Amino acid sequence: TLASKIINEKESVPLKKKTVKSKGGDASHTFILSFSAMTSSSAPSRKALSKIACNRLQKELTEWQLNPPTGFRHKVTDNLQKWTIDVTGAPGTLYANETYQLQVEFPVNYPMEAPQVIFVPPAPSHPHIYSNGHICLDILYDSWSPAMTVSSVCISILSMLSSSPAKERPADNDRYVKNCKNGRSPKETRWWFHDDKA
Amino acid sequence: MTEEEVAMEMEAVEAVYGDEAVIVDSYPPHLHLHIKPRTAEISSQQFVEAVVRIQAGPKYPDEPPQISLIESKGLDEQRQKLLMGFVQEKASELSSSLMLVALCEEAVERLTIMNHPDGDCPLCLYSLFPEDGQSNQMPFMKLMSCFHCFHCECIIRWWNWLHTEKEADSQNGNSRSVDKSLGNCPVCRKVVHASDIEHVLGLVGATQSSQHESGLLQGEEGEDPVLQSESENMRRERFEAILKTQEEKGGLVQPKKNISVVPGMYLPPPPPPASSSSNQEEASQSQEQEHKEAESETNSSTSNNRRGRGRGRGGRGHSNVNIRKQNPQDPRKPTKQWVQRS
Repeated sequence: TLASKIINEKESVPLKKKTVKSKGGDASHTFILSFSAMTSSSAPSRKALSKIACNRLQKELTEWQLNPPTGFRHKVTDNLQKWTIDVTGAPGTLYANETYQLQVEFPVNYPMEAPQVIFVPPAPSHPHIYSNGHICLDILYDSWSPAMTVSSVCISILSMLSSSPAKERPADNDRYVKNCKNGRSPKETRWWFHDDKA
Repeated sequence: MTEEEVAMEMEAVEAVYGDEAVIVDSYPPHLHLHIKPRTAEISSQQFVEAVVRIQAGPKYPDEPPQISLIESKGLDEQRQKLLMGFVQEKASELSSSLMLVALCEEAVERLTIMNHPDGDCPLCLYSLFPEDGQSNQMPFMKLMSCFHCFHCECIIRWWNWLHTEKEADSQNGNSRSVDKSLGNCPVCRKVVHASDIEHVLGLVGATQSSQHESGLLQGEEGEDPVLQSESENMRRERFEAILKTQEEKGGLVQPKKNISVVPGMYLPPPPPPASSSSNQEEASQSQEQEHKEAESETNSSTSNNRRGRGRGRGGRGHSNVNIRKQNPQDPRKPTKQWVQRS
């Protein structure tokens, strides 16, 4: 039966492939793109979530509905693997009263692996947000921890917006965006985080 | 009661509790008692602790002493109140007889029953200690360095993932230094050593996610009398074992049923086996169990030792695997026991 099936299912943990081929960028946050493995497993996959991931996301969704982070609104869909969230800039900041859309996609092995979080263009103009919506924020990549949640990630993003000194794009925006054609995931980028101000 | 008798009682308290009791005044009695749950000295399994003040007036013991909590770790407000309530109740019960040792004992006893972490596992977000009695409880543990608590299974899954990752990274020629014995606490990033979670690897490794999954599925809970009685036997064995150790150590204490004493973790009662309703289902189930059996065979050599260690001291429940292991000659045979015909 369903119960016994699930009980005996062994979780497979695919390896994350990262390849470093070239280095680019010289602004406050440089990046290295991996040009191979576009099919790689670190890209959000169409594969079904693991049972563990499902349970965890259901739990997060319930908690979100009871206690949503201030400034955020989850758009209700029946897709647990891909969330669309509206974020409104905090009052008294450069982004006050502006609303942007975040797209959060979960990998099969969530929460071991970070979700892919991007702004749906038009993305807010911010020194750490590229015009294609990619966000340079360490916790979304190397500093991800499975104890983080969608909610805590959202709060970090809002705080990143709120602390912005000026509405401007990253210095290497054009080059980065050009390299990211074909809907490349920001998780394919090897980010270097130099700037802790925002 | 004379002052002398009270003074002797204080000496007794000092003798029993040693450094754990700080005598503020010997008359009228006033002391601070540092209490920890009784976990057979296994500190990795202590999730709470407290410092209790017992302060008597000149009319002691006709008037019971005042009891308050000075300090506590891991106890939420509700349990703090409960703990004090119990000890105060004991004090009024014993009014007019010398009661200091009895009160200290009561405090330790009650704290032992409350020895569980508060809140949810940071990895799966399900409660570590569901108090509704409905949800299935899973073994949990704490990291010794930072006291953050996780389901054993969740932390092991994370640990394995972490090291699979590191391996993949180093194979790809990344120069990042790879140390397989280190990780960081998912909550606070404090360094975690392999030895911090080693004690649960054996217990969890073979069960994989079975407990986790079954814990989240309701219904299908059959009661197998054989399992029941076997688990009862195991439980009794464990109590006898711990009683013996305590007697050998000159301990005063009789273990209680709700005291958990497995090294480094809290084991819930075993989940009831899933029962199936048709032959076809039965077949597929035992097939899958055979598969699992084979899996657990492969790591049994490493995990057996640890499990064996845990068995001697266990106080409450055990996992399915322990029972299955009792008949290692023919791994296929015992699975039959598990399927309830209906």
